[in-house]
Amino acid sequence: MNALERHRKLTTIWASEKGFKGWFSTVNHTDLGRMFLVTAFFFFIIGGLLAMLIRVQLATPHSAFAGPEIYNQIFTMHGTIMMFLFAIPTFEGLAIYLLPKILGTRDLAFPRLTAYGYWCYAFGGSMMLIAMVFGIAPNGGWFMYPPLSSAIYSPGINTDFWLIGITFVEISAVAAAVEITVSILKYRAPGMSLDKMPIFAWYALITALMILTGFPPLILGSVLLEVERAFGFPFFQADLGGDSLLWQHLFWLFGHPEVYIIFLPAAGVISTILPVMCRTTLLGYGWIVAAALALAFLSFGLWVHHMFTTGIPHMGLAFFSAASTLVAVPTGVQIFAWIGTMWKGRPELRLPMLHLLGFFFTFVIGGLTGVMVAVVPFDWQAHDTAFITAHLHYVLFGGFVFPIFAGIYYWLPHVTGRRRFFRLGELAFALVFIGFHVTFLAMHWVGLLGQRRRIPTYAPEDGWTAINLISSVGSFVLAIGIGMILIDVILHVLTASRGRRNPWGAGTLEWAMPTPPLAYNFASLPHITSRDPLVDQPDLAVQLARGEGYLGTPRNTWRETLTVDIASGKPDMHVIYPSNTRLPILMSAVTGVFFVSLLLKFYWTVPVAVIGVTILVWRWVWGLGRGADLAPLPIGHGITLPNAGMTARSPGWWGSIFLLTANATFFGSLLFGFAFLWTVAPGWPPPVWFDPSMTELGAGLSGAIIGPIAMRLAKSVNSKGRSSITGATMSLFGAILVAVASAAMMWRTPSPVDHAYGATLFVLGGYGLFHAVLAMLMTSFLIARIVRGFTSAVRRAEFSIIGLWVDYTSVIGVLILLAAHLPGVLQ
Amino acid sequence: MKDVFRILIAPLVWFASFSAVYGLHGLMCGHEMSGVVFGLPLERAYLVAAYVCAIAVQMVLLVALYSSRIASPSPFVRFVSHATGWVGLIATIWSLVPVVFTTYCG
Ligand code: HEM
Ligand SMILES: [Cu+2]
Repeated sequence: MNALERHRKLTTIWASEKGFKGWFSTVNHTDLGRMFLVTAFFFFIIGGLLAMLIRVQLATPHSAFAGPEIYNQIFTMHGTIMMFLFAIPTFEGLAIYLLPKILGTRDLAFPRLTAYGYWCYAFGGSMMLIAMVFGIAPNGGWFMYPPLSSAIYSPGINTDFWLIGITFVEISAVAAAVEITVSILKYRAPGMSLDKMPIFAWYALITALMILTGFPPLILGSVLLEVERAFGFPFFQADLGGDSLLWQHLFWLFGHPEVYIIFLPAAGVISTILPVMCRTTLLGYGWIVAAALALAFLSFGLWVHHMFTTGIPHMGLAFFSAASTLVAVPTGVQIFAWIGTMWKGRPELRLPMLHLLGFFFTFVIGGLTGVMVAVVPFDWQAHDTAFITAHLHYVLFGGFVFPIFAGIYYWLPHVTGRRRFFRLGELAFALVFIGFHVTFLAMHWVGLLGQRRRIPTYAPEDGWTAINLISSVGSFVLAIGIGMILIDVILHVLTASRGRRNPWGAGTLEWAMPTPPLAYNFASLPHITSRDPLVDQPDLAVQLARGEGYLGTPRNTWRETLTVDIASGKPDMHVIYPSNTRLPILMSAVTGVFFVSLLLKFYWTVPVAVIGVTILVWRWVWGLGRGADLAPLPIGHGITLPNAGMTARSPGWWGSIFLLTANATFFGSLLFGFAFLWTVAPGWPPPVWFDPSMTELGAGLSGAIIGPIAMRLAKSVNSKGRSSITGATMSLFGAILVAVASAAMMWRTPSPVDHAYGATLFVLGGYGLFHAVLAMLMTSFLIARIVRGFTSAVRRAEFSIIGLWVDYTSVIGVLILLAAHLPGVLQ
Repeated sequence: MKDVFRILIAPLVWFASFSAVYGLHGLMCGHEMSGVVFGLPLERAYLVAAYVCAIAVQMVLLVALYSSRIASPSPFVRFVSHATGWVGLIATIWSLVPVVFTTYCG
């Protein structure tokens, strides 16, 4: 087979549907990455327009441009859009587009999940836009503090849009994070051990892990607040055993890591581009990896620095103040590694490099003002002033937008296969840089003069007029600059001058392919021996196109790739991907029905949506199995690999591990909330305790023990080639017992609207019931698979996956039941 | 997976002990307590004891990560796990040092 035939054959196997129909059925990471990025930039423009409205309003005192109600919506939506609909999805889009290419494989771990995530983002984002068009957008600030956001002070639907819409969007973040984590750990080119991974992959891995542990507290907070608003469960009401500070804890437990979730991918872009712009290699690879890890961890110990003014005891403040100063160290390590890289190389002032310099200058200032506000007494002065807004924009714009602009200009030739023709970019950079600093330096200043944030207007006597005008003029210069970048990019996409491959002379794998990229990325997969494969093997691209790598011969109509051992990069499984399908968009539409029903309080369509999603998920996973055993397959170079469905640690198992990590964080946050209310909130102990029942407790606990044991039994019987149906059925029975005990707990809990104690128990019981029902569905699925002959001693992947979920259900079931029954027993 | 674990363990334990000490502090401030141990008020004694424990655990971890029996075969993972091991230790010492000298519950 020659290169052209191979290309034709692979294209028929891998191509998405032609035309715009393809958008709805594609599961290809290149398509979806581009869709993510375009959508995210659309939201960036919207968020930017809102920022312009803010600056118009504040340009002069007593401005009549927008009243307070509209102004509240504008700044809330500006912050919300920028954080949730621009920054995070931009990371997701970049990672989805780039990772398989840079790791030397053909797609991400779960292609249909990528698509599902995208559609959840698109639909959830549209919900927010619709709210804005109708003038009922969220208006409580991007962190939605109760009691302001409670049903009493914000009776309208505005806040519900935020709580429900953002949760919908978060599904896409969690989906992408699971996807990215598994892809980086398992889906790499053979030979790419951890130390040979491109640095961007390290950053993306760390960011994805942070999303998995950072987002669940926010999702939990949103669920609790929405339940409080809709049904009156008093989680955040101090007079009924709740505490509004619980929201602040949950929000910032997410919110501070969020800042690093935004910064780290940008740092990944910088670490990738900077060495190329300086014609050298990255200085201190190992140090950078360690610093990024340290930063990720430390960022989870800082959240209370957003709550310095809430009256927390001194020692609590001191812990978080100390931890906050500590993050400067790993950040410093990274900055010095970058400076060292520039020092050692020969920097060339090409366009991406300009934006990187813009980053350095801006981010360092933002970091310094950050250290200032980490000092408690200073923060008491500056809190909630324009100084803080200025600081956060130095960090976010400096630390994210500049690097992303650098990334856009760097990878644009890869996306389009073209050369930049017009030279608008340099001028645009100058305008953005100047405009940004004028706008926000002025805001630091006026903040120190006492201008509070989020005020719709001010009086001439305040003496802030001139500074605000300067700031607003600056912001328009900035906007013109961003507009020019947009035009530059559009012109680039439209002008037809073909560029050469690898225009920057980079060493990473994404340039070892024709541009724009093909649906299958690589005609055959490379073997990696160094961190810069293209430097060592300049003709790698040609070799791969000739099919000299792995999996160079298309087989059947399979979309094939392989996975590797995490640490060593030795190939360990053969994977066949699913192909084009509309299932993801359909499923996210039905998921959307669920959220919209909650929003509009059409409670009778909620169960319909839930059943719909269940059926679709069933179809989704049913399609994965095989009716017969598959012998190990040759992948070239004399290596044979087992197919993933014939292993115990299949991609689905890995995906479950990380989804359960996020889930466990959610559950942990719920327990934290319970403990927090119990010990800190006023109004405890509750008027009545839960009435313990030995029958319910006993039934639940025995179910929790039977389930996992029976599952293990089923697994071992199956591996001996005998029928595992008894074990699976017993496991189902165990799950039913847990479900009954949880349901009974919800039923009998002290009235959840009278005290936060009953409310929390109700939610805990609901969590247990949800998982028990999930375990019931999964074990029923397994039984159906066994009956239909989809399992065998070799085809055993599903036992391990379902086993994980059964185990998890038991652990949380036991904890939940004990939390409810024990206090009463001990009383 | 073992290598991933080696890299993550020390900071994870830091996070656990940081939360635990913060939680302990919150718990004690929620419940009145009195008593003196070694000339220290009971609250302070508990906090300092927890602090010392947390540091000791980090030191054990660090020694383990350096020991040839537990360390990773890959030099790169060894390097990163040593670095994160030090991060865990230093972060524990620094972020919890307020238990020694700051007033509690006020
Ligand atoms: C495009 C240029 C931008 C301008 C001119 C701008 C301007 C502003 C201004 C003036 C405020 C203060 C509103 C007030 O306190 O009354 C604000 C708030 C905020 N901005 Fe921006 N911004 C820009 C870009 C961004 C970006 C890129 C992000 C994040 C990635 C961001 C995130 C936020 C957040 C989180 C708030 C706080 C909203 C709140 O108080 O609820 N902004 N912005
Ligand atoms: Cu923070």
